Amino acid sequence: MDVQELKNKLDAAHYVYDDSLVTTLLVALQLGRPLLIEGAAGVGKTEIAKVMAQALDRELVRLQCYEGLDESKALYEWNYQKQLLSIQVQMNRQNPEELTRSLFSDEYLLERPLLKSIRSEEPVVLLIDEIDKADEEFEAFLLELLSEMQVSIPEIGTIRSKTIPFVVLTSNRARPLSEALRRRCAYLYIQYPSLEKEIAIIRAKQPNVNEHLAVQVAQAIQDLRANDAILKKPSIAETLDWVSALEALGISDLTPEAVRQTRGFVLKNSEDLEAAEDGIPRPEGAQESAHQHCGHCHHDHAAPAEQPDDTDKIQQAQQRAEGR
Amino acid sequence: MGPTGFVYLEKLTEFSALLRQEGLAVGPQETADACKVLESFGFSDREVVKAALRAVYAKSQQEQSAFDRAFDGFFVSVERREALREQHRAEAEELARRRSEAEQELQVNGQSMDLREDLQEVYLQLSEDKREYLRQFLEKSQENLTRSPKLYGNFIRSVFMRFLLEQQMLMEDAAVGCEEADPDLALLYRDISRFKETDIPRATALIARIAQQLNAELSQRRLHAGHSGKLDFKKTIRRGLETGGSFYRLSFRRKRRRRRRLVLLCDVSGSMLQFSEFALRFIKSMSEISESSRTFLFSEGVYEVDPFALQNMESFRSYVRSSGLYGKGTDLGTALEHLCTLRPSPLGPSTTLLILSDTKSIDLPRAARALAEAKRQAGKVLWLNPIPEQKWPYVRSIQVMSLLCQMVPCSTLDELARACRKLVQA
Repeated sequence: MDVQELKNKLDAAHYVYDDSLVTTLLVALQLGRPLLIEGAAGVGKTEIAKVMAQALDRELVRLQCYEGLDESKALYEWNYQKQLLSIQVQMNRQNPEELTRSLFSDEYLLERPLLKSIRSEEPVVLLIDEIDKADEEFEAFLLELLSEMQVSIPEIGTIRSKTIPFVVLTSNRARPLSEALRRRCAYLYIQYPSLEKEIAIIRAKQPNVNEHLAVQVAQAIQDLRANDAILKKPSIAETLDWVSALEALGISDLTPEAVRQTRGFVLKNSEDLEAAEDGIPRPEGAQESAHQHCGHCHHDHAAPAEQPDDTDKIQQAQQRAEGR
Repeated sequence: MGPTGFVYLEKLTEFSALLRQEGLAVGPQETADACKVLESFGFSDREVVKAALRAVYAKSQQEQSAFDRAFDGFFVSVERREALREQHRAEAEELARRRSEAEQELQVNGQSMDLREDLQEVYLQLSEDKREYLRQFLEKSQENLTRSPKLYGNFIRSVFMRFLLEQQMLMEDAAVGCEEADPDLALLYRDISRFKETDIPRATALIARIAQQLNAELSQRRLHAGHSGKLDFKKTIRRGLETGGSFYRLSFRRKRRRRRRLVLLCDVSGSMLQFSEFALRFIKSMSEISESSRTFLFSEGVYEVDPFALQNMESFRSYVRSSGLYGKGTDLGTALEHLCTLRPSPLGPSTTLLILSDTKSIDLPRAARALAEAKRQAGKVLWLNPIPEQKWPYVRSIQVMSLLCQMVPCSTLDELARACRKLVQA
């Protein structure tokens, strides 16, 4: 697969990308390396695995990590109940060794995501989501799988992968990952999208949305992310939710009143709502009404003189976005 | 592989060595991967090559910044290389000129000031206005110098040295240069005392994030420190029920780890207020550090803080101002004596006394004696010092106090995080 082919496939999956992302994906694919993706929550890390599954026409096998996740939940588990039942039924069997052997066969093996991904006849995309939430022991256990594409089961032996899965690991950096794990992966860091990219994402995911509204929402989201007082920055998924909510309410212009009605879709805690109260993004043409609606404030909401006017920025973004 | 291939392999090996020098963990596997990637992607597009090699070599956001710097410096076009060569030649000439000029200027009584080599380099890098400032100082002191050459010779040398040391610290500020690439990263390595008013919300958010990461890391390490305790019969039997009464998995009692009690002694005299505020924020947001803590603020007097007041760090400054401690001098001796004589005593064998101060205090001998007594009463004393470590050899009070207790440099948020990790391990 070459760069253009992958780009075409990502286009077909309506995924908005930049060249650096495509190159990194291709490097991981060609080297057969797992891809470790880091970035703030909601920048689209998990989405990459989903899109790659779609683009490569492979099944997506997902392992969601959490504290306490162990081999029995991630790799395999023996079906103890079935084994005990079998022992009871075949109690009087002549050959006990054969019974013991049969108890550790495929019939009694419960396949979990990791085993499933390496025993699959067709290559799959394996998503190990939020690896930073799992314990360090589990991370160490993953090393064999990630470097050798094999796992060891004491009762059976080593199982080598039939096909090479494309492994995607995501992390929100809740804790630092080990050097050993990092070294086995290709690495990608995803930032929040730029204004143009955010507009393109809205267009790709919500093709029916009013162009003017898309630009206004993208600009407002950019302003919120740039606001240091906002603790939980809005994610791309929240941008799309906000657009959907505005669409559903029949709002085609992001007035301060519309922002106030729907801001719960982007700001999810009271501190952020309070912080945004002072600096609610001012969409184009809404400066006047902003002053009318914000009677309790004593300060001026208009953009400072040395900063470029939002209207210009939106127009520039619109022109750039249309040029794509 | 053809001859061209060998050339590139050689180049890549050199590049890998360069990245190793930059602190990246690069092994032969990465170099081999980089070769494969270049064979596949070709060399036609510089940005594609950069992105591909970045994916192979850099394994974290910090490493990506280091990689980008190294790549831009290593892989340069022929025209750019020529331009750089020309630039280097011009710079070398300029440096030689400035060096000979500096040799002339760094003289007292016709003799060299005998400054350390690194300080002479700092002098070379000074801007013209700063050099002019030193020249004028030397000129003004000429009259005194002729009167008492030895006395004023030493004085002038000490003024030059102090000025150059300060400039060296400014130049060595790790945050300079990475501000544009990643403002948060820059904030992490910048001297806390140089935070501007506009940096404070970002710094506060950064502290919350680092504290969360550290808490998660430390609590996981504690939870999975192995089962050194006794067998937990109740739990083992309960788990055995899942497997028809067979004890496939044993459960162990976990040893209860007793965290230490923490006594914080914070200097809130004028210059220390900002540092104390950030350090307290950090320590208070780390639940893993201690199971209970008492906080004392001091300047000339000493004052125990109401724990509820510290729950809202936003009002810390106004709290300090209303306590009457703000804007006064520093008397560490009185503060430590107060701690040692307080009944019931806040200090004890399971206590860690954490001092947040720059060691500058009136009556240093008394402060040192009080510190020795506090150390005798407390289980452990740790000193978080906001003065950058490279300046320590020139501050007498630090030399005295560091003999009496463990002193940790904490001039940046990164160092503060490392100190907190040390505190948990203590």
